[in-house]
Amino acid sequence: MENYFYSLDILYHARGEFMYGYWGKILRVNLSTGKISIEEFEEEFVKKWLGTRGFAIHYLLKEMDPKIDAFSEENKLIFSTGALTGTVAPTGGRYMVITKSPLTGFIAMANSGGFFGAELKMAGWDMIIVEGKSEKPVYLRIEDEKVELRDATHVWGKRVSETEKILRKEFGDKHVQIASIGPAGENLVRFSAIMNNGHRAAARGGVGAVMGSKKLKAIVVRGHKRIEVIDRKKFISVMREKTEILKNDPVAGQGLPAYGTAILVNIINQNGLYPTMNFRYGQFKYAEEQSGEAMSKKYLKRNKPCYACPIGCGRVNEMDTIGETEGPEYESTWALGANLGINDLASIIEANHMCDDFGLDTISTGGTLATAMELYDRGFLKQEDLGDAPPFRWGNTEVLHYYIPRIARREGFGSILAEGGYRLAEKYGCLDCFMGVKKQELPAYDPRGAEGHGLGYATDNRGGDHIKAYLISPEILGYPFKMDPHDISDEKVKMLILFQDLTAVIDAAGMCVFTTFGLGGDDYRDLLNAAFGYNFTTEEWLKVGERIWNAERLFNLKAGLNPEKDDTLPKRLTDEPMPEGPNKGHVVRLKEMLPRYYALRGWNPDGTIPEEKIKELGLEEYL
Amino acid sequence: MSRVKFFATLRDITGVREINVEGVKNIKELLEILYSRYGERFRKEMERKNMILVNGRNVLDLQGYETKIEEEDEISIFPPVGGG
Ligand code: SF4
Repeated sequence: MENYFYSLDILYHARGEFMYGYWGKILRVNLSTGKISIEEFEEEFVKKWLGTRGFAIHYLLKEMDPKIDAFSEENKLIFSTGALTGTVAPTGGRYMVITKSPLTGFIAMANSGGFFGAELKMAGWDMIIVEGKSEKPVYLRIEDEKVELRDATHVWGKRVSETEKILRKEFGDKHVQIASIGPAGENLVRFSAIMNNGHRAAARGGVGAVMGSKKLKAIVVRGHKRIEVIDRKKFISVMREKTEILKNDPVAGQGLPAYGTAILVNIINQNGLYPTMNFRYGQFKYAEEQSGEAMSKKYLKRNKPCYACPIGCGRVNEMDTIGETEGPEYESTWALGANLGINDLASIIEANHMCDDFGLDTISTGGTLATAMELYDRGFLKQEDLGDAPPFRWGNTEVLHYYIPRIARREGFGSILAEGGYRLAEKYGCLDCFMGVKKQELPAYDPRGAEGHGLGYATDNRGGDHIKAYLISPEILGYPFKMDPHDISDEKVKMLILFQDLTAVIDAAGMCVFTTFGLGGDDYRDLLNAAFGYNFTTEEWLKVGERIWNAERLFNLKAGLNPEKDDTLPKRLTDEPMPEGPNKGHVVRLKEMLPRYYALRGWNPDGTIPEEKIKELGLEEYL
Repeated sequence: MSRVKFFATLRDITGVREINVEGVKNIKELLEILYSRYGERFRKEMERKNMILVNGRNVLDLQGYETKIEEEDEISIFPPVGGG
């Protein structure tokens, strides 16, 4: 069988000037022609963009028209490591996938942990740019310098666990790392994930569907190189100091390892912003039964950290029905539980397992099902539209077991759900039934109980999302200090901007955002400076974050973003007061915050970026 | 009567999920009662950082440890916690 399309066997040329932290090497893979080539970048590129999202946005703005269809041959799919990925920096194992999103039509940048990112860097590659489309299913096999595209017909259609098993065996090395899509990505489900290590997901924005549209089933990688930093001794001492801070921090060192992210279920519920039944209410009667406490007691087998992570929030749970599984995280527990009025923890864990194995984003899967339940409840969607399929009644666990595989395979009504909540709501004539921003389903915090976080949802470059500026930290959890969740002063808006820029730095550094429970701006500065030998100030690194944020905004504006229409929240959150609980009577006062956000960002009152800002950030070449 | 609910590791110390208290003036007084009832471990867990809610509202957004406790109030106490 012809399973060998193109191979690249190169020796590293000795570089005149050695680059620390990175190799300065990009792998470009054109799936239309089968051509694989190498490109290099210089240190100046690192100083300007740092890594992951930063690197990628440069290439997306340079090389493609942001208006193209996400599933077209012109879309590029970028896998990028960060500055500290593959080093011993705490949590330094992350990678990101950046592309144009088929869900939002704007930028998608999904981050994942596990071990894939570090392995890619150790193979000598900082980034992979995938372009074009293959005619038949392929996978990319990387063993250090040896890079090949191979036939993937035998794994096409297979779920993630099975795919990993087969490709690992084929490679003949159990240490190989695999990023792959499941049936969902193959079938262009608009909220498909790219999975690695079975349960780690680069999920949001439907990056898995772009991979599927290119017929790229997986990237399999094994690397044997050590990433050099400029002064190893110094770097290790800084690393030890920061690891110590994390270990001594009550959240990073105790709370997260003991209960995982699901510890938030009770916290957010008690604070009255746990979205219940598609954000109708802010408290769920049965939250205790699906809390981190309950999960640990009933199912927890052990913790599972990602690469170089001293925190180890990952959970391995065990159930009679499915055996060992990982997760669910807080977000997934909520999306497949309270947001659907579902209280059965066992079903939630099973559903989460299915989503991972089929390669679906759990938040958007839950959000789409919640939209269907709202449509059904309000009579827009009728049983005759579903035929024999289970009714979308609040709390009906059958919905999870029945629809999740059918969404992934695009079978029956599953094919309509596969388009996501926005398109579903539009089809059945009730756009207000969809709880999302920029066509992406919202995560697990009702912003009527954390208004700054609501501004974050409205302005997030990738649409409804919590992790690119987690204002829940100051507004609810009290990190780095407590802010009133209903304060909407300039201080709050500035805090959001700081979080957006700092998160871009942490992402680009290849570290996990959970380190912010412990580390602050100066700590990331220390780690980055120690790796590269720079003496950047914290402000200078934050400027890189600001540059990334603005460049992504520029991409979105070029893709057709209309700030008035798109920087917004569902009506329920701005116009319908929270009906009960601690936040009773509150809405998100978005209209009062948004103009100040634009002004404090240095943008025009209409949400576009003025020339001076473009110049200040060195973005002229992308106009 | 007010209800006091415990979460996460605090439950391992108290052995119960919730208790009722009566005639407690404010959070400060409540904490003193809890420290003497549940001992050093409880105090240690609470001292570095914590989250105390009165009817779902964080005392840090109210009057801190001086926040009054009324009859029928529900107080939720968490050790330092976070996630995302
Ligand atoms: S904190 Fe959790 S998600 Fe982050 S790197 Fe560690 S184990 Fe992975």
